[in-house]
Amino acid sequence: MTKVKMLLVSMLVALVSMSASAQTQGKKQETVQFKTSAVCDMCKKTLEKAMAYEKGVKSSSLDVDSKVLTVVFDSRKTSVDNVRKAVTETGYDADGKPADERAYNRLDDCCKKGAH
Amino acid sequence: MLLKSSGNWLRFSAALFAILTATLSASAQQLKGKVVDSANSAMPLIGANVVWQGTGIGTATDASGGFVLQKQDALTQAVIVTYIGYEPDTIQVAGKETVTIPLTATGALKEVVVEGQQARYSSLTPTNSQIITSRDLEKSACCNLAESFETNASVEVSTTDAVSGAKQIQMLGLDGSYTLLTTDNVPTLRGLATPYRLNYLSGTYIESIDIIKGTGSVLNGYESVSGQVNVLLKDPAKAERLYVNLYGNSLARLDANVNVATNLGKKWSTILMLHTDHLGNRVDRNKDGFMDLSLGTQYNVFNKWKYQNEAVVSEFGVGALRETKVGGQLGFDEDVPQEQQLSYGTRSETDRVSAYNKTSYTFPGKPYQSIGAITSVEHHLFDSAYGLRNYDGEQNSASARLIFQSIIGHTGHTYKAGLSYNYDSYSETLTDSTFGRTERVPGAFVEYIYNNSGNLTVVAGSRLDFHNLYGTVFTPRLNVKFDATKNTIFRLAAGKGFRVANPIAENTAVLVSSRAIQFNEDLQPEKAWNLGGSLTHYFEFGGRPGTFVTDYYYTTFQNQVVADMYSAPQKVQFYNLRGRSFSKSFQAELQYEVAKGLDVKAAYKYFDVKATYSGQLVQKPMIPEHRFFVNLGFATPFDKWRADLTTQYFGLMPLAPMEGAQGGGMHTSDKFLTTNAQITRAFKRWEVYIGGENLFNYRQPNPIVGAADPFGPGFDASMVWGPITGRVLYTGLRFKID
Repeated sequence: MTKVKMLLVSMLVALVSMSASAQTQGKKQETVQFKTSAVCDMCKKTLEKAMAYEKGVKSSSLDVDSKVLTVVFDSRKTSVDNVRKAVTETGYDADGKPADERAYNRLDDCCKKGAH
Repeated sequence: MLLKSSGNWLRFSAALFAILTATLSASAQQLKGKVVDSANSAMPLIGANVVWQGTGIGTATDASGGFVLQKQDALTQAVIVTYIGYEPDTIQVAGKETVTIPLTATGALKEVVVEGQQARYSSLTPTNSQIITSRDLEKSACCNLAESFETNASVEVSTTDAVSGAKQIQMLGLDGSYTLLTTDNVPTLRGLATPYRLNYLSGTYIESIDIIKGTGSVLNGYESVSGQVNVLLKDPAKAERLYVNLYGNSLARLDANVNVATNLGKKWSTILMLHTDHLGNRVDRNKDGFMDLSLGTQYNVFNKWKYQNEAVVSEFGVGALRETKVGGQLGFDEDVPQEQQLSYGTRSETDRVSAYNKTSYTFPGKPYQSIGAITSVEHHLFDSAYGLRNYDGEQNSASARLIFQSIIGHTGHTYKAGLSYNYDSYSETLTDSTFGRTERVPGAFVEYIYNNSGNLTVVAGSRLDFHNLYGTVFTPRLNVKFDATKNTIFRLAAGKGFRVANPIAENTAVLVSSRAIQFNEDLQPEKAWNLGGSLTHYFEFGGRPGTFVTDYYYTTFQNQVVADMYSAPQKVQFYNLRGRSFSKSFQAELQYEVAKGLDVKAAYKYFDVKATYSGQLVQKPMIPEHRFFVNLGFATPFDKWRADLTTQYFGLMPLAPMEGAQGGGMHTSDKFLTTNAQITRAFKRWEVYIGGENLFNYRQPNPIVGAADPFGPGFDASMVWGPITGRVLYTGLRFKID
């Protein structure tokens, strides 16, 4: 009983410290832009959320009209290739690299290429 | 005189000018458009729904496919267009004043139009519906259907008895057996499976849940009285490739879940879902000598297949489960026959196998016309003992439905018509008596949907069934939706329900007592009328959207199987209703995003449920008159952190007169609060969650009457109105590969 409580408390502590350590690293930022197959605001949400969970990515922004995704990342933690791969694994083409098929099928109907 | 009138004229023309300019500027603030078929742009789509994205505000297209929306209502410059038989679409309209929207026909028969991503209170369905999305599901503890309703105000979950800890849902103040449970719109877990059915669907199998209050469509049969809960299982084509969920709580209950999904070629996809849970730890916190929660182990597997080709969509599902449960006094040894030991105990073993298929074909060039077939089979077998009482049962069921859907002239008038056949074979043994029945019910149904392509939808349906035991059953149903303004929607539901009760299975709680079971007469099927209405209002306050929903439902029984534990001591009598039995339920619910990321949901519920017991109309015991519900949900950007807090307040509940109590006057339960909370941290593939249920540790005092002498005449564990287990803390993790 008390063991379980201890376990719960230590898990919470671990969670908090993990998020704290992520913020104390030094910076070496680069910016990259990809032409994607994203077509709507829903795509913008999906892509920016996926980027937010990518290791080393600081920020990202998709311009829906031009379909250009701008990603700011820490070059010591990730690379342009990794980021591009993350885009295709989310279900979108990136600079001509085709989207992962199953990920594409999972997208909301409005995010499919022929939808607009 | 002249001056005065010219003054009037001046004022009049000024007013006219103001109106004119207002209209002119208004027209510049409008979005006009037309919705057409993408294969044939000359064909307008009449009655298509066009809604501003992220709001419930919208309209339906008129007889020429046209629509007008006010730009001031927009949250983002995009509209969502939906239409039966077509793929929904989102259109960017920034800077545009007119737009033509082509929609592409789907191959699928879409019985449920509403899916995961949309608002919780749909503005589109003709019924009063709420959606529990997969994101909502992750807010509550793991891993069965009972826990899925924790963050929803419309469905209550209650404990049936103090020994098994089985949970039941209630809707409109009525027992769960009056709510139709469907998975992917196929009725399931009916009849003898009812008592523990919420345990039989793992939360990890579920994509989303639609809750429909009041009578719904006649397509799913005549059984629903208070409403329908439709569980959408994960879609094999869209589910995560791998999903693992592990859970453990402070009572030492463990849960493990694994889903694996894959595509097999272009047309086939499949998902295999596994669930197991185990509680082996005997806990007695209230020191009454009884385990607070029954021990148990469950293995549950479900495999779903989907085939998708141009016009044909087909889904197959096969499920199997085995569950063993042991409850009772701490010293109970389930391996020793009850007669040979002093401790009281309950044990049960359940085996269940089910399968279903849904296939639909859409006619080429006629996206509004389709034919669908739904078939299912179920086998349910259990073997249980409650003290010295044995209760065993078996149910075999099969059902088939054929549904044809088309239009009359244009899509303003659509209809669904079909045939159905249900077979149910029941056999039960209670101690020494055996009873059973076989039902064969062929039926026919038709449903007509009128859509004036503006603000009115009428769904009128009826079905005629020919019951081999109870004759012809006629079931009419009506649903009306009227959009008084684009933000204010009225709905009306009226209809009849019919069901054959399974008195023992639906009242297993009485088995956990020393009451003698007595059938006073032949029991007749239950019949009830349900009438109700709702108002949904979408608003914006301080730049943030909110929803207000209020509803009232009245259910009255023409016949009901009454389980009377109140008229005679040490007995439960089953008889047909003589007199009135009704439920009046009122609910008001407000949902509003108070600050960015902080969502608040508050609800108040009032129930007046009365039934006639031996000639006396009395308040139904153990249902509180007043209830409050508050849910706070907080999420940081991209849902990296999520926190959730739900508090429920239960008002006084009338209780049955207790054996040996003084005076015999009205006695009631306590007022109490339960509070649940959870925090989730998400990483790319991992999520870790930690939470607690019943944080203030409220427990019903003495949930078991006569706990000291379970074989004596005063023993009764069925009088449960509050939590038994007290505070439970839990933690778990999810791992996903998309």
